[in-house]
Amino acid sequence: MSHATSTTPARDFTLYGETFSSRFLLGTALYSSPQLMRDSITQSRCEIVTLGLRRQNPANRDGDAIWQYIQESGCRLLPNTAGCKSVKEAVTLAEMSREIFNTDWIKLEVVGDDYNLQPDPFGLVEASDILIKKGFKVLPYCTDDLILCKRLLDVGCEVLMPWGAPIGTGQGLLNRYSLRSLRERIKDVPMIIDAGLGAPSQAAEAMEMGFDGILLNTAVAKAHNPPLMAEAFADAIDAGRKAFKAGLMQKRQTANPSTPTVGQPFWHQQ
Amino acid sequence: MNTQTNPQQIAIAGAGLLGRLLAWRLRLLGHDITLFDAGKLQPAGNAVRAAAFTAAGMIAPLSEAVVSDANVYRMGQFALQRWPEWLKDLPHSETELFFAKGSLLVAHPQDESELQQFESELNFVVPECRNYQHLSNRDIRDLEPDLSPQFMRGLLLQEEGHLHNREFLQRLGDELIRQGVLIREDTPVETAPQTIHTGTGVEKFDLVIDCRGLGATTQLKKLRGVRGETLHVETSEIHLQRPVRLMHPRYQLYVVPKPNNRFIIGATQIESEDRSPVTLQSSLELGSALYTLSPAFAEARIIEMDTNLRPAFMDNLPKIFCKPGLIVANGLFRHGYLLAPAVVEQVLARVAQNPHILFPDLLQASVSG
Repeated sequence: MSHATSTTPARDFTLYGETFSSRFLLGTALYSSPQLMRDSITQSRCEIVTLGLRRQNPANRDGDAIWQYIQESGCRLLPNTAGCKSVKEAVTLAEMSREIFNTDWIKLEVVGDDYNLQPDPFGLVEASDILIKKGFKVLPYCTDDLILCKRLLDVGCEVLMPWGAPIGTGQGLLNRYSLRSLRERIKDVPMIIDAGLGAPSQAAEAMEMGFDGILLNTAVAKAHNPPLMAEAFADAIDAGRKAFKAGLMQKRQTANPSTPTVGQPFWHQQ
Repeated sequence: MNTQTNPQQIAIAGAGLLGRLLAWRLRLLGHDITLFDAGKLQPAGNAVRAAAFTAAGMIAPLSEAVVSDANVYRMGQFALQRWPEWLKDLPHSETELFFAKGSLLVAHPQDESELQQFESELNFVVPECRNYQHLSNRDIRDLEPDLSPQFMRGLLLQEEGHLHNREFLQRLGDELIRQGVLIREDTPVETAPQTIHTGTGVEKFDLVIDCRGLGATTQLKKLRGVRGETLHVETSEIHLQRPVRLMHPRYQLYVVPKPNNRFIIGATQIESEDRSPVTLQSSLELGSALYTLSPAFAEARIIEMDTNLRPAFMDNLPKIFCKPGLIVANGLFRHGYLLAPAVVEQVLARVAQNPHILFPDLLQASVSG
């Protein structure tokens, strides 16, 4: 048995045929300045960043100044359809994003509820189907519902991005049972926990459960010190991944001493 | 007028907030001022005009420090002292322009965690700040009886104020003419040390001060515009003493009382250089925030919808670049009335060749942006 202890993470995270060494995807919204956003990207060590253009009048390319600045980070861009409430809006925005950023990757969001931004599962499957037929590589932001995830795979998604909790809540993994069973039932497809995480410990827990990556935004952008929080998440994600690969011990019902208590008379040992 | 021992011929490019303030203060010191602007000194509502006309005129060092840093707080405190002093130099008028009555923060009962988040950020950014107060439902009603009774908790930020900014800009424009500042309207320019390039020729000055805001993007590469949208409404059913900010998980909107029963509700903040009219989405957000603050706003009349771009550098903080014969000041972002006094005083110190540096973070080594 080999005990790999290399400090550089393996380049073994594959999404649509491309490999990455970082399993952390970071959002670019909500920072108090673009510079703070870029500093956070650097500290996060991430290789993929998401960006939304719904409200920036993309048809006119009015967001060019900030898009260029994000592109200068050197990360792969993953445009998203945040804010789209219908299939048609999402498809139109995905096509615009493909043209502007010259990428067929799209983080697909179809908002079903305005207050908590919960995904609309029906619209999501329909939009995924349309976009995949148009040649897109779709990374869908979905709930942890097994049947929804299966339908997304049926229409050709090769990555799933179930939520931990609703966007921006920082609640962590609200439904461990369904996330765990999702992971057990869908073993061979990369799954990224997207949204709802507030603390690095929650990201580590998701990685320990065997999820392949973490996507978040608010937890870093709304920290008092976003670059430092980005680094904390990066470390937690690395630790969680290592723990998953190393294999967690099974929990036991009683507290067992890990070394035999040799000095104690056997009739005192239970 | 104070007389300067060696009055200089100074050209100022841009008659927005910084340009006007600098023209005024430098003229009072005895310099000869020529103020250039690509548009009019009193622009029409539909013209491309300075961000200062669209701003709501809040002077909110605490609220703004939370979304930027402690320097903004320090410069904002300076502004709260400087504004009333400066305004004494304007001819007397019946309409008061500046108010130091604090500002109020409230949140929907289900979004009260936003108040806690704000307080936690405030304590992190400005740990020494004690000038705020927790409010109960009763306190809120005592302070602003016309607000909706649904707000159970709030914060009163004592150390904040607001300014009737459009009235101020107009009165300052009139004062510049009265003081003999030479106004060159409809004259877009480019700047260089001691030099103004107009479309028709080159003019020489002792000193050029460039505060063109987004007009300077050809020379300041990292300057960008950030879209903001506001609604102006009019109603006699509601009276507010001070700005009120509604905290929400995805946006913060404020309403600021203005003369003649008017209110500004603003402002969206969108990373886009789009100057087109207000979107329906934004108008819904702005309108519903207003309605949340008080249902009596339902019958207010919408008298204006305004869109503009805030000039900003990538750290969203203002900068001053100096070289012999040229000073460039830009990037006030969403903090125009809050940070202009600090920027203006720092520029004045430079013009007077006063080595004292008031705000070291404002001064930049090179004109790269």
